[in-house]
Amino acid sequence: MKLGFKIWLLIIALVFSLVFIFGLPPKFLDSGVVVTSIGQNSTLFDQGLKQGQTINSVDGKSISNLQEYTAALSGKFITGVETKLILGTSNGEYTYYGNETPDLTVADIPKTNIKLGLDLAGGARALIKAENKSLSQSELSDLVSITQNRLNAFGLTDLKVSPVSDLAGNNYMLIEIAGATPKDLRDLISKQGKFEAKIGNLTVFEGGARDIASVGRDAQSARIEGCSPSSSGYTCTFAFDIVLSGAAAQRSADATANLTSDPSNQGYLSEKLDLFLDDNPVDSLAISEGLKGRVTTQIQISGSGSGNTQDEALIDAKAQMKKLQTILMTGSLPYKLEIVKLDTISPLLGEEFVKYILLAGLVAILSVAIILFVRYKRWKASLALLLTTVSEVVIILGISAFINWNLDLPSIAGILATIGTGVDDLVVLMDETGSKLTLNIKQKLKRAFTIILGAYFTTLVSLLPLMWAGAGLLKGFAITTIIGISVGVFITRPAFGELLKRFRKEE
Amino acid sequence: MEERNWHDKYYKIMLLIPIVIILFSLVYVTINYQQTGDFFKKDISLTGGTSVTLYDKISATQVEKDLSGKLSNLNSREIYDLGTNEQKALIIETTTDWNETQQVLEDYVGYPIVEGQNADVQFTGSVLSESFYSQLLIAILVAFAFMAVVVFIIFRNLVPSGAVIISAFADILMTLVVIDLTGIKMSTAGIVAILMLIGYSVDTDILLTTRVLKRDEDSLNTRILGALKTGLTMTLTSFFAILAALFIVQSFSIVLAQIFTILVIGLFFDMVNTWITNVSLLKWYVEHKEHKVHREAGE
Repeated sequence: MKLGFKIWLLIIALVFSLVFIFGLPPKFLDSGVVVTSIGQNSTLFDQGLKQGQTINSVDGKSISNLQEYTAALSGKFITGVETKLILGTSNGEYTYYGNETPDLTVADIPKTNIKLGLDLAGGARALIKAENKSLSQSELSDLVSITQNRLNAFGLTDLKVSPVSDLAGNNYMLIEIAGATPKDLRDLISKQGKFEAKIGNLTVFEGGARDIASVGRDAQSARIEGCSPSSSGYTCTFAFDIVLSGAAAQRSADATANLTSDPSNQGYLSEKLDLFLDDNPVDSLAISEGLKGRVTTQIQISGSGSGNTQDEALIDAKAQMKKLQTILMTGSLPYKLEIVKLDTISPLLGEEFVKYILLAGLVAILSVAIILFVRYKRWKASLALLLTTVSEVVIILGISAFINWNLDLPSIAGILATIGTGVDDLVVLMDETGSKLTLNIKQKLKRAFTIILGAYFTTLVSLLPLMWAGAGLLKGFAITTIIGISVGVFITRPAFGELLKRFRKEE
Repeated sequence: MEERNWHDKYYKIMLLIPIVIILFSLVYVTINYQQTGDFFKKDISLTGGTSVTLYDKISATQVEKDLSGKLSNLNSREIYDLGTNEQKALIIETTTDWNETQQVLEDYVGYPIVEGQNADVQFTGSVLSESFYSQLLIAILVAFAFMAVVVFIIFRNLVPSGAVIISAFADILMTLVVIDLTGIKMSTAGIVAILMLIGYSVDTDILLTTRVLKRDEDSLNTRILGALKTGLTMTLTSFFAILAALFIVQSFSIVLAQIFTILVIGLFFDMVNTWITNVSLLKWYVEHKEHKVHREAGE
């Protein structure tokens, strides 16, 4: 039987959609784990291991999923013992030496190319604006790039920072971080991060590339010095080396030149080097007499972290050190910022969401099926109607995967809306072609499409305002619905009409 | 002349049903607006505030009793696992901002609350949510206006187009009143549902008007009856599909549950407004026109 152009178009659209969704060769056939983030100061990163690559063997033994990967690495690294690790990927092998687990996170290979939004997959989203100041487009794009740098330096790679504006003309910075919400997220994105080192009242250097040439982050130049019990639990101190720029070093030298010796502290100068973060003191370092008036570029920065137990204090100290290193490297943000919206969703909840949504979709389609069978009692046509609806959903998902759209809750609602209007239109087709009039089937289809196109354009225009309103956070709904109804009107419903035409001829 | 059936006799009187509901709704909304300054109750996504999902077994009533003095407009409920029926989390909603809410809650539970670890947070600043709210209201108005323009272009006829638009408006108005009467607080998602409703409700009205105006076979009543059969199938499939989906999602997604609830209510009123409001107005218009034609032809 000749299929005809309209049905071929639907088949081609379906095939392409499936390829977009599952990849070619299909992703679910791959085995291994995928790198979701990698520390930029990791030696593996220097060798070229990147986010998105697939690891399929550990020390020569092949692994097929996250469970096997975790098992292969567990107990391998013992503190203080240098251990070798070989990770095999399709791009070759990467070798790692170290005494702790490499700074690397992996996940099971996703089975499809469909990307879920943060509200389904888990993650954090923040909408940020400058306090008491409206940012221009160029100021905003500067802020976006500085923030991106800072978050990358902090070790977050699976994230997106973008400028957004809304209908009222407000400009915001939107930060989206996939997966687990990092600790200190609020500090990291909204605190200005103004670091100052002062001798007396004189600022000798600040955070950022102008004054700081480099910040030590490897095991030799950044370390935890020790832990001790304190009044409220434990305190651990950390220290790391930084290299000052020539100008900053000269300023320190000038500042120490006129200082006298401290009579109460033998061997040190009368003023200390005070470190401030966002105007709060972090630490105060005594300066040895030998440094008086000398230009030194190597400086050690120190600080501390505390907690109820020694472990907690250790974790806190490491986090504090990382934060300080990040701020010294990237400098302060140019504005005081304010988080105007913050949403965090645990990844665990996201998995359940998807299960429930699939169930809800299935139940919805089943109830449509029951009503249709009862109403028409024509198995073939009703079945074709259901298949058309399902293929609409498949094509929407295919296009979403193709344009890299993250499916969030509003997008899912949009897909459900499309199923609803889609079924409506198919019912119109069924009834128009089924009418007892003496018109030929072609005329009947034409009549049906007059109604369908009318409904299409009214829905289309009523969705347009949503593309911009509310900083675009509800855009997903408009996007999936527009894709859905357009696919329906131009691909699936014509094909369904064609099928009905053939069924009529057979009868 | 064909015999007048009951619909021919009573369709104008039937218009009283929607008219009474519309009048009641308008009065309700006006009083509501005068008293609260708003058309409906808003949740924290539109007023600004914090919603914390705390993964701990804490009693909602106890929290409300203990903290209502410290957190403004406090509201909380427990979430249970569907399978084990064990409490999974406590959801706390307040118009207090997140920093302060976190302080109060940490003092209360006695451990640090870390978003993304033992809690999930949704915080919206009040300035932002006010701006969201006004933008979304504008979005609804613009969407409605766009829809009206397209309807006019399709039918190029004032009265039938007006009937479609009045039906869509009545649909949204009645839905909003019922939503408010049931005590549901509208969120941004709810406003999305209203937009969805515009699309859904106009579908059947366009079907009806096209069948009645652009066809010349059969009698007026037969055309209306045919449209009714198709239109009810359309609306009932959507209605039951969404009702079934609502049953599943209500336990896990407040967002989707609200969208579906609004759609179910809206689709119910869509049936009323398409098959009473719109049909009666359209029939009146067509009969009036035919009457005029007859008179001019001297019959």
